[in-house]
Amino acid sequence: MPGCAGTETPTGEKMATQSEFSAPPGENSSRVGTLIRSRGDQLLVLIALFAIWQACSLWLGTYWVGSPWGTVVRLTTGVLGGELLSHASFTLAEAVIGFLLGGIPAVILPFLLRRLPIVTAILDPFMVGGYGAPKLALAPLFILWFGIGIESKIALVAITVFFIVYFSTLSGIRALDTKLVQMAQIVGADEKDVARHIVFPGAVPYIFTGFRIAMPYAIGGAVVAELISANRGLGYLIQLGAMNFDTTGVFVALLATGIIVFIGNTAVNVFERRLLRWRPPSDAKNQSGT
Amino acid sequence: MSAQALLEVHDLGKRFASRAGRDSSLWVIRDLSFSVADGEFLTIVGPSGSGKTTLLNMIAQIDVASGGEVRFQSEVAPINDPKSLNPGLSCRIGYVTQEDNLLPWRTMLQNVLFPLVVQGRLNDETRARAEMLIRTVGLAGFENHYPHELSGGMRKRASLIRTLVYDPPVILMDEPFGALDAQTRTVLQEDLLRLWNLGRKTIIFVTHDITEAIALGDRTLVLTRAPARVAGEHKIDLPRPRDIRGILTDPKFIEIYQRIREQVQ
Repeated sequence: MPGCAGTETPTGEKMATQSEFSAPPGENSSRVGTLIRSRGDQLLVLIALFAIWQACSLWLGTYWVGSPWGTVVRLTTGVLGGELLSHASFTLAEAVIGFLLGGIPAVILPFLLRRLPIVTAILDPFMVGGYGAPKLALAPLFILWFGIGIESKIALVAITVFFIVYFSTLSGIRALDTKLVQMAQIVGADEKDVARHIVFPGAVPYIFTGFRIAMPYAIGGAVVAELISANRGLGYLIQLGAMNFDTTGVFVALLATGIIVFIGNTAVNVFERRLLRWRPPSDAKNQSGT
Repeated sequence: MSAQALLEVHDLGKRFASRAGRDSSLWVIRDLSFSVADGEFLTIVGPSGSGKTTLLNMIAQIDVASGGEVRFQSEVAPINDPKSLNPGLSCRIGYVTQEDNLLPWRTMLQNVLFPLVVQGRLNDETRARAEMLIRTVGLAGFENHYPHELSGGMRKRASLIRTLVYDPPVILMDEPFGALDAQTRTVLQEDLLRLWNLGRKTIIFVTHDITEAIALGDRTLVLTRAPARVAGEHKIDLPRPRDIRGILTDPKFIEIYQRIREQVQ
């Protein structure tokens, strides 16, 4: 274990000397090491999954399980031809717009309700109900209301994202350290300073946990809404493939969905890491490890 | 003394409501009175659980009193009504708490500058003062470190100068060095005395360590067990500047130590 000798210093010695700061570089290099190792392990899992997939397709026949090679070829030609790309970007647009329309109010609302505990309490059962309600069941209703175009999909994504982010933001505000607030008030902070410098930065990790959980749901929600009724998008491709007994086509759309979720998750991670530089590495790891 | 007192505490009391079913409620502090002169370094010792933190919380206006009053420059602080509490009495009472309470999302420098930012007083002059304080306590070079990247002693120093940076007339300190090892504690005590010599602030310093109380203070109050009252008052007429390490063998120190020791139960 290279670099671990360095990390022992800060906990073992409390003296304020320069020596204890030899730790971070060593820690960093060991973190890079584990990163490379975990990337390698992930690659192994990916290869294993492809092997199982290949075995299934050989065993059951490509009629039931599209072969990995055929899927990858179709994916590549679909992307290069632009057709798959246009369907995927349609789904992505629904997910992103819905994410913003649902996510932004879900972050703002708990802050507005912070000073109104009674209103929060009154709203609580309704919010819990909305959180628990199966969003899939809402899809037909939204199609009825907003038509089979992009609007109904955006609505479904927005409502799914809203409840997830609302509850995680709320728990971030509830986890507020009152000692920090008292400290700020003593040094002269008013209500606005407390909200801006204490409550909001303290809630940011919780908001990001909400974003991280909501992100796959946003893409999944868009695909599900398309499955029910649409003439574009990855969900439409899945539906079309299934109707034509084109299992490879279904697999292509599923793989594309998975890739989009992966990219979305990476984007959330990068954004989060930039915003939450202040957190101890172990904390950040616990969060992103989920 | 009371004619030029900067801060006065009169018959201060704090009662915590008892659990349902009992009539008697628990007084933590009762009829506590003392005063602090401008520029005085007052230390308060008392057994643990004697309401020392509660006392400072009330003076700092973050906790209500159940009786009595606190006066700052003869002005009565609104301490009996939770709604009218004025934490820090408009930036005139600074408070260094037991925990450092640094904001984890701000770097050390940003934490030190925080009071100036919220008071709208951040300018070249105050920034230079912050930098001077950072150098004085040996934190230079760690300005851009986040609190979790600093040692316990460094965090303590940062929280200390965060209060000094906006120069409140009175500073309360609640066992600020309690959680540190003996070596770091001595270094920080020396730092504190050096900083105090620069500005001669009025300080009320609470501790359970008699040695620390004598080494730092001009005067030491001894509190009784709860309900806390003043059990004794001791003038510490040891010459300044003091040598924290050498003072322990001074016969005068030993004599004061024994006097206080008898009063602390």
